[in-house]
Amino acid sequence: MTASHWQGWRWPLLWLGLLLAATFGLPQLEAGFRAIEPGARAVIYSQASFSGLLVKHLLLVAAAACAAVALGVGTAIMVSRPWGRDFLPLASQVASIGQTFPPVAVLALAVPALGFGVLPTLFALVLYGVLPILRNSLAGLHGIAPAVLEAARGMGMSPWQVLWQVELPLASAVIVAGSRTSVTINIATAAIGSTIGASTLGDPIISGLVNGNSAYVVQGALLIGLLALTVDSLFERVQNRLPGPAAVALG
Amino acid sequence: MRLRPVNRVIPVLVLMALALLWSLDFVSIQANRIVPGSSLGLVAAVGMRWALGLSGVLALCGLLAAYVRRPPYGVLLALLCLLLAQLPLSLAWVGEQHITAELAHARVGIGAGFWGLLFLLGLLSIELQQRVRLHRAGLLGIGLGLLLLTLGVAHLGGLEPLALMREYQSRRQQFSSALYSHLGLVAAAVGVSLLLGAGLALLINRFPAIQRSCMGLLSVIQTIPSLALFGLLIAPLSYLSAQFPLLQQFGVRGIGWAPALLALIAYSLLPIVRNIGVALQAVEPSVIDAAHGMGMSPRQVFFQVRLPLALPVIIEGVRVTTLQAIGLTAVAALIGAGGFGTFIFQGLGQAAMDLIVLGALPILLMALLADSLFSLLAAHYRGVPAP
Repeated sequence: MTASHWQGWRWPLLWLGLLLAATFGLPQLEAGFRAIEPGARAVIYSQASFSGLLVKHLLLVAAAACAAVALGVGTAIMVSRPWGRDFLPLASQVASIGQTFPPVAVLALAVPALGFGVLPTLFALVLYGVLPILRNSLAGLHGIAPAVLEAARGMGMSPWQVLWQVELPLASAVIVAGSRTSVTINIATAAIGSTIGASTLGDPIISGLVNGNSAYVVQGALLIGLLALTVDSLFERVQNRLPGPAAVALG
Repeated sequence: MRLRPVNRVIPVLVLMALALLWSLDFVSIQANRIVPGSSLGLVAAVGMRWALGLSGVLALCGLLAAYVRRPPYGVLLALLCLLLAQLPLSLAWVGEQHITAELAHARVGIGAGFWGLLFLLGLLSIELQQRVRLHRAGLLGIGLGLLLLTLGVAHLGGLEPLALMREYQSRRQQFSSALYSHLGLVAAAVGVSLLLGAGLALLINRFPAIQRSCMGLLSVIQTIPSLALFGLLIAPLSYLSAQFPLLQQFGVRGIGWAPALLALIAYSLLPIVRNIGVALQAVEPSVIDAAHGMGMSPRQVFFQVRLPLALPVIIEGVRVTTLQAIGLTAVAALIGAGGFGTFIFQGLGQAAMDLIVLGALPILLMALLADSLFSLLAAHYRGVPAP
């Protein structure tokens, strides 16, 4: 372990430490929050524990990210094979036009379709989260020099081996960049999912806004902000270790 | 006739559209706003003739694309326009058929089958646009035509029984004020951040040492979820407004437009500064040299060489910023900033699905329009047709 190896972990560890400190320490800061909201009966959000909300928020985003990666990368692979190439123009256009729709509108429209609760939130997160991943996977697979693929086939690799050992590793940096965009958006959208009945870190904010209690709002906002920064810095760390032109931001 | 289809995309989309149309509810009819509605399938909603006509035209599209050696994409585009045009007419027809005089408060809800058809027709038009190499403006034209036709049918009273229209009718005033506050917030945020961003980009251009920290700070802000940033601005702003009565007079409070606008500007700065920076650096030094060599003054070089070359990239930044601001303004309704988000969150609170759609649809339309307009503008300055 060299010093530079640890240097890369500095930001993720700092944000993670702050996030954990806030999750377990906020309830101890009652006096401080009393100053923000002197008139309120309670100044620490207590309908659910912050750690429970954090875990639910993370699980929701992680489940959506797994489904979105599977769907997005899977679709990109299918439309870049010879037998699926007919669908390539449509897929790439849908990936770029779909991203013009605001995530909150997609989330709202999931309710008339699926009702309230965790399921429509998850559906909206997956639906919207697929787009940046699909777009970047297409760009990554498309960006590989034909000579490289030719050489791989010339070495006698089967189409599967070319895909697993050449194409996906070479495209991985761009795909991870797309996943980073997707997860960043989804952490924010999952917070708004509180309004459609998913229990996330958005709960304290919504409850605070409804009841006019700024202390709740600050607690929820702090935790969500720290969560987003932690996850984003982890992604940056992963991206820096990948081969090829890392940090290609195509999002 | 050959068995292997020439174009496989269009037949697949057509088959999906037919499956959705015949399996899902086309509309639902409610006696009033409270009672649950009864769902009608395609045939029950529009009658056998309309259903068969619609399915026939769809099937014709699929067959033409699959089995004519050089598919007549122009004809297909015309058929697609016909299919799109029948959408609002079919809703008017449903009202004509099912809403009688004694059902004065009855309302027609749009069902999953209709939305599914609309979605798949959208995919078909994207596919066809690429096949006929239609300019992006052509697609925008078709969309605007459909919008105008829908508004025309609505104006003539044909869409009166639609639940969406009934929600709109009881909120005309709120709808227009939501439109103005939404557009106003987006325009103010993009305008202010364009000015601030240009200044910041020039500053970074002059002092490259601050680039790393500036861009780092802006991207940290971009990472923070909107709901959190809105929330974090409430306490400081209400403190400031309590301290300075002058601010209060201008309507600066912890909730409302002030925190919304501040957050929107903070989010908008990153794409603007990044794109202006890229645009200014992207102009090749040899071009600038040539301009100097021609005897242009620095002022002329900036306005006649640098800016025109940089404009497409800057417009792209404005496009991204505008789309982002349209979506974030919807969230800002939660902190009382107005806009179409108000309808969405009211609708969510009352479990009034049509109200949610009344808020979400204009947001989607605004986003699509802004995207098309800025893409066309950027393509115009770049001097090449849009993709």
